[in-house]
Amino acid sequence: MDFKATMTETLRSRKLYYIIAAVAFASILPLFVTSKYIIGQVFVVMIIFALYASSWNLLAYSGQGSLGHAAFLGIGGFASALIATKLGFPSIVGLFLGGLISAGIGFLIGLACVRLKAWFLAMVTFGFSVIIIAIITQFDALFGGVNGFPTIPIAAQTLPFYYATLAIAAVSIALIFLVMQSKLGLAFKAIRENELEAKMTGINTGKYRLVAFVISTFFAGLAGGLYAQSQLFIQISIFEPYNSFLPLIMSVIGGLSTIEGPIIGSVIIVTINSYLPAANKFLEPLSPLFPGATNNVGSALGLIGLGLFLIAVVIFLPKGITSLLSKALRKAYDFFREDKSKTKKAKSVGET
Amino acid sequence: MITLDGFAQALLFGIANGCVYILLATGLNLIFGVMKLVNFAHGQLLMVGAFVAYETTKIFGLNPYASILVSMGSVALIGILLEKFAFSRVRGTEKLNEIFISLGLIYVFENVATLFWEKNYNIQINSPLVGLSLSLGEIAVSYDRILAMVIVVVILIGLMLLMSKSKIGLAMRATSQKSDASMLMGININRVYLFTFAVGAALAGAAGALYGIIFNFNPTVGALPTIKGFAIIILGGLGSLPGAVVGGLLYGIAETSTAYVLSDPAVLGSAGSWPDAIAFALLIAVLVVRPTGIFGQKGE
Repeated sequence: MDFKATMTETLRSRKLYYIIAAVAFASILPLFVTSKYIIGQVFVVMIIFALYASSWNLLAYSGQGSLGHAAFLGIGGFASALIATKLGFPSIVGLFLGGLISAGIGFLIGLACVRLKAWFLAMVTFGFSVIIIAIITQFDALFGGVNGFPTIPIAAQTLPFYYATLAIAAVSIALIFLVMQSKLGLAFKAIRENELEAKMTGINTGKYRLVAFVISTFFAGLAGGLYAQSQLFIQISIFEPYNSFLPLIMSVIGGLSTIEGPIIGSVIIVTINSYLPAANKFLEPLSPLFPGATNNVGSALGLIGLGLFLIAVVIFLPKGITSLLSKALRKAYDFFREDKSKTKKAKSVGET
Repeated sequence: MITLDGFAQALLFGIANGCVYILLATGLNLIFGVMKLVNFAHGQLLMVGAFVAYETTKIFGLNPYASILVSMGSVALIGILLEKFAFSRVRGTEKLNEIFISLGLIYVFENVATLFWEKNYNIQINSPLVGLSLSLGEIAVSYDRILAMVIVVVILIGLMLLMSKSKIGLAMRATSQKSDASMLMGININRVYLFTFAVGAALAGAAGALYGIIFNFNPTVGALPTIKGFAIIILGGLGSLPGAVVGGLLYGIAETSTAYVLSDPAVLGSAGSWPDAIAFALLIAVLVVRPTGIFGQKGE
């Protein structure tokens, strides 16, 4: 028992070091990259989606797989942008108020969702994200219609905004990690594994599921605000189902219910996406074959590949890429330890 | 102006639209009832069915109503492949895995379709009956809608006969009640699952062809019908076939009558997306008040 506790303790601290190392790496990364586009549109989006996917992952950690998280991304984005541009508050205030508004609406949706089983919850959240587009397009005067309206970033582009985003995302992900490690996270895990048993051990499952909903939607809203600022514009397209499925795909590909999974997934997916325009150009000669997608052949093929990739990961690698990495790490660790013990043995043989 | 005649017209349209939704929802419900699987890519199967019917009428000059059979067959084939190579692989693992796989399928279907047909370009299947309608006093119903209703009734009767009279139907019903016990009784449940998925997909294919005749569509049309299908089966009760019929009719009527009340009759579609929003509110209300639906049994 003691052994197990210490094991988890070390593992915990080791993961923490990985996170710190990742943040350190991310903060020196811009020194080696000169392209403003890559820093401002690829790295920043990567960080924001790591936060967004982590927020989704926290909800999944409590056994609730949302299919409509883009609703909260969009609510956070629009709320923070409207507060900053129309009401004249500083952007940073708008950002956090946007998160709070998103959490408020998340609370209301969560109230309807906490008693539902996996597929009902997925239906309700999926429905919500589709319907909210329908509702928002009815108020074009406020939300700017298809063209949207410009946002006010919390810091100047490119480097100051990059570091501001990195700081906010790192603190948020660290908080999510703390929640997962805390007693609250333990309750979430118990609910995910077996809701009935969790209830029998005295966990108020409805309350805890609602708490997970509120925390998750807060961070999703925060990510939405950051995303709107990173794009300099906010448009209705932020609500599209694609944005709902992305955090799910990132988390599943990276590794569900782990802290590093969504981050790894975000790095992979955003990197692939950043090559899509080049792929479109490269594949343009193929467009006579595909009359529907004249200059989007690369994007369409990329999305088909993403769908197949997701299916393949679910079937063949259900614990995601993280499981491969940790397996490799453990093997390396064993290898070195074996090496050491061998040299020890050799020494002892030599001594006798 | 809201008139009685106008309302009757909306009611009739609602029943006709509801019939298309019934087919989709019945397929979803059948798959759920027997396999306990929720296929979020069901609306994409409808989309594929619509395109198959569109192309067969265009290329081979087939009557659109005959092309329903073609699209049923081809979508059933797709369903068999999906079940065999994707869904059966994750059976017995977490429920979320099935949802993830159906999401992946949404990506695959929608984007394969956008390769061949333009994304935001709406098309409609050319029916020989287009523009013709039966007038009953102030009310007029197009023959296409009437024929759609007849076809849906025929298909549903066929499905009912299949479920109640045939051996495979018996096996399906047994599996839906208790899969492990029916396995012990010598039912090959993997074959039952394959057959169920094929039938469910064929229903989605038929719904797609009718959808393409009545409404216009494009490669991204699938998401909304999926949600409508969910709303209907939740309304009627998950796993209950009569529930899907009643739910579909109620849903269709609710949709067209909200559209009628909210819209300016001079401007087509001026109610915008409010009917969809109301449908969603209905879904949540039913889930909160009576999670088992109108005809649903306790337990699931």
